Amino acid sequence: MTVEHPALALRGLAKRFDGTIAVAGVDLDVPAGSFYGLLGPNGAGKTTTLSMAVGLLRPDAGSAWVLGHDVWQDPVTAKRLLGVMPDGVRLFDRLTGAELLAYNGLLRGMDPAVVDQRAAELLDVLALGDAGRTLVVDYSAGMKKKIGLACALLHGPRVLVLDEPFEAVDPVSAALIRDILTRYAAGGGTVVFSSHVMEVVERLCSHVAILAQGVIKRVGTIDEVRGGRSLEQVFVEVVGGRTATGEELSWLSR
Amino acid sequence: MALPVSADATPAAPVRSVSARHFVRLKLRVMGNNFRGQGWRIALFIGGALLGLWFAASGFFLFAAPGLTGNGEYAVLVAAAGGGLLVLGWLLLPLVFFGVDETLDPARFALLPLPRRTLVTGLFVAALISVPVLAVLIASSGLVLTAWSLGGWSAGLVSVVGVLAGLLLCVAASRAVTSAFATMLRSRRVRDLAAVLLAVTAALLGPLQIFGLAALREADWDRLAGVATVIGWTPLGAPWTAGIDVAQGRVWAAPVKLLITVAALGALLAWWSRSLESAMVGAASAGKAPVRRGVAGGAVAQLFPRVAGWARRDQFGALVAREARYWWRDARRRANLITIAVVGIFVPVMINVTGGDFAAMGEEGFTTAANDSSPVLVTISMLFVGVLAAVTLANQFGFDGSAYAANVVAGVSGRVELRARMTAFSLYVLPMLAVVGVVLSVLIGHPGWIGLTIGSLVATYGAGLAVNSLVSVLGAYSLPETSNPFAMNSGAGLTKGLLTLLAMLASAVAAVPMVVAAALFGDAWLWLALPVGAAYGLGAALLGAYLAGDVLDRRQPELLATVTPRR
Repeated sequence: MTVEHPALALRGLAKRFDGTIAVAGVDLDVPAGSFYGLLGPNGAGKTTTLSMAVGLLRPDAGSAWVLGHDVWQDPVTAKRLLGVMPDGVRLFDRLTGAELLAYNGLLRGMDPAVVDQRAAELLDVLALGDAGRTLVVDYSAGMKKKIGLACALLHGPRVLVLDEPFEAVDPVSAALIRDILTRYAAGGGTVVFSSHVMEVVERLCSHVAILAQGVIKRVGTIDEVRGGRSLEQVFVEVVGGRTATGEELSWLSR
Repeated sequence: MALPVSADATPAAPVRSVSARHFVRLKLRVMGNNFRGQGWRIALFIGGALLGLWFAASGFFLFAAPGLTGNGEYAVLVAAAGGGLLVLGWLLLPLVFFGVDETLDPARFALLPLPRRTLVTGLFVAALISVPVLAVLIASSGLVLTAWSLGGWSAGLVSVVGVLAGLLLCVAASRAVTSAFATMLRSRRVRDLAAVLLAVTAALLGPLQIFGLAALREADWDRLAGVATVIGWTPLGAPWTAGIDVAQGRVWAAPVKLLITVAALGALLAWWSRSLESAMVGAASAGKAPVRRGVAGGAVAQLFPRVAGWARRDQFGALVAREARYWWRDARRRANLITIAVVGIFVPVMINVTGGDFAAMGEEGFTTAANDSSPVLVTISMLFVGVLAAVTLANQFGFDGSAYAANVVAGVSGRVELRARMTAFSLYVLPMLAVVGVVLSVLIGHPGWIGLTIGSLVATYGAGLAVNSLVSVLGAYSLPETSNPFAMNSGAGLTKGLLTLLAMLASAVAAVPMVVAAALFGDAWLWLALPVGAAYGLGAALLGAYLAGDVLDRRQPELLATVTPRR
């Protein structure tokens, strides 16, 4: 590619469900090679935005490009460059971990030998090899996240879009996922992920966007957004949280 | 904990106790919220209610006929046979076709501190709030009219009690049976036993049909009246005939029959309550599969089951392999497969074998009976089986639920997707159809008709695949994520029923050329049917995948949204 395209570009993405506005026009440029954190409270529209960006949910307005390829006009090329781990979506969980990886690899048109080799490696690195013939439906929450990540990584995508990769994951698995993502980004890949865990975002990300009520409130490199304060302070201020005064809920103490 | 806590650790008694009223209100509220902002759901509901009313009205006049005509002779017959059919219908239809409305999923109540008795009563009363129950109530009130006009107000009063008890019996039976089957199909240990039981249950359709056909054919009313009297003493007929007994002077019979009903009702509720417990706990864990280590071969080799071993290791092959595994591993799909196998064998056998002389069959075996079956009749019964098999795919994407996202993300083309799904399903169904064809032609004493039976089956099945792949793309709906393979979302039961009916009709129409050919070509058709039917079925299926695949390409995200359960 001669022209430098952003890894992911969103323009005016908007979606409403049954009259309520979920996302009200999101513009975002994710530079190639960046580690991008999409922050927001519950119900801010993170999942909706990412779903529209990767072709899972048709936007009411706006468009999305992956490395210059329109996700909604030229989905085949765009999807080939993308690795996606959606949140709140089931996997084909009546398969074992190895079967699921093989399925995803072949679905992406990969060579069977390569699929075998990469699947074995991924299962090994993610410590899922011990699960053997256990079906994914019987996996623990953390194991499900890991196998989801493995599915997204398998075909070596240029851009990785992860929805809440650290939700319901124990510290050991979280550290493992962090390591893998850092190595992927260091190798030239781009990672976009949503989260509301400040500590992880602060440690990993080069860029941050804060989403609230379906609108981007702050965007930039992590230092620009922080402006010398802690990310949590900025986040609470932007989102406008309230703190308990101690008067209410008095019945909680006996 | 360092804070001093007041010594009393027993929880305070609840201020207000929970009653069935709460469950009813909860169900009404959930139903109402499901309608909100969904005009088409309201329209479907009203359509279904009208349909129910129509059935209710015709049922009412059937039940009321002996009373209206003042002809008491057949009152017991109508009450016992009609009422018994009602109970059997409530028992069997949810298993085979419709599923049960699980607006209130028992698993959701697992954490609440409710005594089991409260829970069962509550769910039971809530289950009474439905259109079918109302329809049966209206229909069976015809019996009250009959009893009243034949025996005065006392008979009428007993009949009211009987009819209400019968209604409760119907609902309890359907709940208990589906819940028990769900438990069995869920458990990996006894699911094969469940398959056999389901087979036996569906096989009950057979004797019923013999009974019905014999009734029509023989019109031996005295013998039937005798049978009806016997049925009247079983739980199937007891509640419905109690009022008639009073009207005809057998006052002593009424309390006994009501007692029989109450005992049956109690037994069913106790049964339900037991399987309910396992449904509540089972939702949390379906039991671990045995962990087998050291599997031979790489990941790709593991994905492909033996039935799909021939497939190429590419996108199409992966889809086929995954679907083939799912038809066996997913309880909901497996239940469907078993149903096809059972109904597919029994119904055509009954139609063709009992189509002959029922009385002669008993004495001289099947061969004499077969003289009546003609190629056209056989083709029509095969039409039914092929259509039934294919209609299983009418909501094939609903089976996947949100997991379908993986295929959307990978950008699978619609045509490949549909062709692969058809292929995987056919891996199971085609052998089954072949068996049906062979068994039937042998049973009716025309082994030479194997080509005809299998040809018509394959043609209908192929046409059905084409119709249903289009239906599955356009008319998909989400299935609840419970472990009960018979569970339906509220309102979806009706959608499912209508869609199934529509798809079956369309598939049958698409296969009509086979019937016409059977009627026109005579003996030559017996040889031509197999190649022509196979070509017709294959062509139709491919054309269907081609056309519907185009539609699917345009609405993949919309399809994903419709099959994702709302939470």
